[in-house]
Amino acid sequence: MIALSDYLLFGAVLFMISMAGIFLNRKNVIVLLMSIELLLLAVNTNLVAFSHYLNDVTGQIFVFFILTVAAAEAAIGLAIIVLVFRNRKSINVDDLDSLKG
Amino acid sequence: MSFEQFIFYVLAAIAIISGLMMITVKNPVKAALWLVLAFISTAGLWIMAQAEFLGLVLILVYVGAVMVLFLFVVMMLDINMAILKEGFTRYLPIGALAAIAIFALMYMVVGPEHFGLDKIAAPAAKPADYSNTTEIAIPLYTEHAYAFILAAVLLLVGIVAAIALTLRRRPSGTVLYQNIEKQNRTEKSERLEMVKMDAVVEQPAAEDKEEEKK
Amino acid sequence: MNFVIPSFAPAIPEITLLILASLILVADTFWSKRFQNATYYATQASLLVAGYLVLSSFSVEQVFTFNDSFVRDSFADVLKLFTVAITLGIFLFAREYLVQHRFMSGEFFVLGLFGVLGMFVMISANNFITMYLGLEIMSLAMYAMIALRKYDGVAVEAGMKYFVLGALATGMLLYGFSMIYGATGTITFPEMKAVIASGEADGIVLAFGVVFVVIGLAFKMGAVPFHMWMPDVYHGSPTAVTLYLGTAPKLAGFAMVYRLLYEAMPGLVGDWQQLIIIISILSMVIGSIVAIAQDNLKRMLAYSGIGHVGFLLLGVIAATDDGFSAAMFFIIVYAITGVAGFGMITALSRTGFEFDRVADFKGLNAKNPWLALMMLIVMFSMAGIPPFVGFWAKIVVIEEVVKAGFTWIAVIAVITAVISAFYYLRVVKSMYFDKSEIQGPVEIISPALHWGVSFVAILLLALGLLPGSLIDLCYLSI
Repeated sequence: MIALSDYLLFGAVLFMISMAGIFLNRKNVIVLLMSIELLLLAVNTNLVAFSHYLNDVTGQIFVFFILTVAAAEAAIGLAIIVLVFRNRKSINVDDLDSLKG
Repeated sequence: MSFEQFIFYVLAAIAIISGLMMITVKNPVKAALWLVLAFISTAGLWIMAQAEFLGLVLILVYVGAVMVLFLFVVMMLDINMAILKEGFTRYLPIGALAAIAIFALMYMVVGPEHFGLDKIAAPAAKPADYSNTTEIAIPLYTEHAYAFILAAVLLLVGIVAAIALTLRRRPSGTVLYQNIEKQNRTEKSERLEMVKMDAVVEQPAAEDKEEEKK
Repeated sequence: MNFVIPSFAPAIPEITLLILASLILVADTFWSKRFQNATYYATQASLLVAGYLVLSSFSVEQVFTFNDSFVRDSFADVLKLFTVAITLGIFLFAREYLVQHRFMSGEFFVLGLFGVLGMFVMISANNFITMYLGLEIMSLAMYAMIALRKYDGVAVEAGMKYFVLGALATGMLLYGFSMIYGATGTITFPEMKAVIASGEADGIVLAFGVVFVVIGLAFKMGAVPFHMWMPDVYHGSPTAVTLYLGTAPKLAGFAMVYRLLYEAMPGLVGDWQQLIIIISILSMVIGSIVAIAQDNLKRMLAYSGIGHVGFLLLGVIAATDDGFSAAMFFIIVYAITGVAGFGMITALSRTGFEFDRVADFKGLNAKNPWLALMMLIVMFSMAGIPPFVGFWAKIVVIEEVVKAGFTWIAVIAVITAVISAFYYLRVVKSMYFDKSEIQGPVEIISPALHWGVSFVAILLLALGLLPGSLIDLCYLSI
């Protein structure tokens, strides 16, 4: 039988992969955005698993809304990437350095 | 190991490997495709958790719309592959160590100690006429109606923002745009001018010239 | 199925704001060619209508509606009123800036209005889903507003950085939400409080979830050590948008902190208090020290904002009703001061001349003594010098943290306040005692903006002389 902990560990591993993708990625702003999508996937898996094992459909409804928001956020993120590319002709994260930290 | 467990581990492994491949490949198109594979295998896991509606919505909406949008943008940007630098492998040993440490920490919290089968039992199988869609739909439109409207507002904001940011109009010298209201609003006086002329016009100047020539 | 249609009456301000914002969005396509300022006036009118509706239904009782996903109490009403007031000021300053820098578009105001709607939703949220949706509506509007100056590479880069930061913060926050949902089995705040109080939920899982929630909140408020790109964002975005970013969302962010940490999880105070102490001290220290090295005024104000968030968290550390009331007073005062400070920069900038370096303010007293006086009031209020209201704000929060028994933190707070006073006074000194580097006169373009800047600055003085009514209002609301 599959335990709740299996789902949650899977979610935790996805979370860590996405953190690695966000912080270790210097090449590519699009991979940054995709890592954020992976992060939201980890959260959604957690919620679906909890909803299943606690017999409460609220978790699945929360996932429904997170999917909606993630889609809208991805659209705006990609619009901003298109603007960055139009201005700079490059999507390298290291090239976004005109503002000194 | 039962068949169910076997399927779970296979799907989970595919998802995790796809995630790792996504953050390591150089080509963004391939990265997007690996992410699609991760989503599809996770959808399989969700269907195993008896969230059928959400599993299918993940494939239809997320993979079918959002990832396709990603691929459109990646293709449109026409990225020069040669310029993309490496630098990932420098951090690999430290990164792997940190990852294992954090995983051990997380295992202590979400592992079998707190959420194992003895703490939270596997739920009973649902009856044959159970409809996951109905079960999501009824609370969605009644208890969470406020949130539902807000989700619609959020999508509206997303549309307005994306269009306000990226819409470009060609300068009016190169491309003609129609302005239908302006066309409908034109008056006859702007287009047509009536000039009063006689029906028959005499040609006295030409006859005089002919007489002079003679 | 026995479903009772919920009462819409408490949500009338939000509903009206939504309808008006949508109407303005549509009407903007028709009237923007012929009447340049119609969208601006319509937006201000909608804000006034929303503010009036909040004011007219003001009462002290707590009302739940929409199946416990919406709460209306005096805390929400006060914060909503101040959000409306601050946004009125923001749009007033922003309109001239947009015209001067040639990226005027109706969408700026429509997105700003939707951002205000998001803030209203966050302030009145009573469960995880509503809180998250309000947060995202506000954030999406802001991501777009920063990058709206499409042809400016710096602004677009700031938009990209803010987007990545915001999306990461939301992801962390949601991970925490999922853990807390798993541990307690509910997403509504009052139920969560009851479950935690009864001790049924697993303590370690709750602590794990609270850590992620606090991390997400710290990202959103711009507190150390998650402040990574905030100064870049403040510097790169057009000053009118920095004005919006640095003031109004802080009120909604504070409402989120209050609802999540104090109303939903007061039983876990042992878990989040320690984290907030660390974050608060780091924010105050770094905010005061790093700002000294900045020569761009917007960046300096960004770091000062980080320091101020540290001060705000002092009230949160106290974890009592009075502590949160003090924090509420502090954040309202900070938002007004931010409108004055960033508004001054916005009002002074002209086509081709951004006026955001500290060096630009040199010798301002010789060119325009009234403006120099207004800037002096703003700087003194930020530094916490009496009799301006900033002093009262800092005193009230420090007093609350001392009452809660953390005197050592109060000592650190006072030390960092003294250090940060250095760079505020440096601006004042350069205004009065240095020679100006700018040729020609320095003045605010339109008289409306002149009145606006003067009004907000004098408000700081007036509130400083008579802070009692505002302090009482805050203490009554919690």
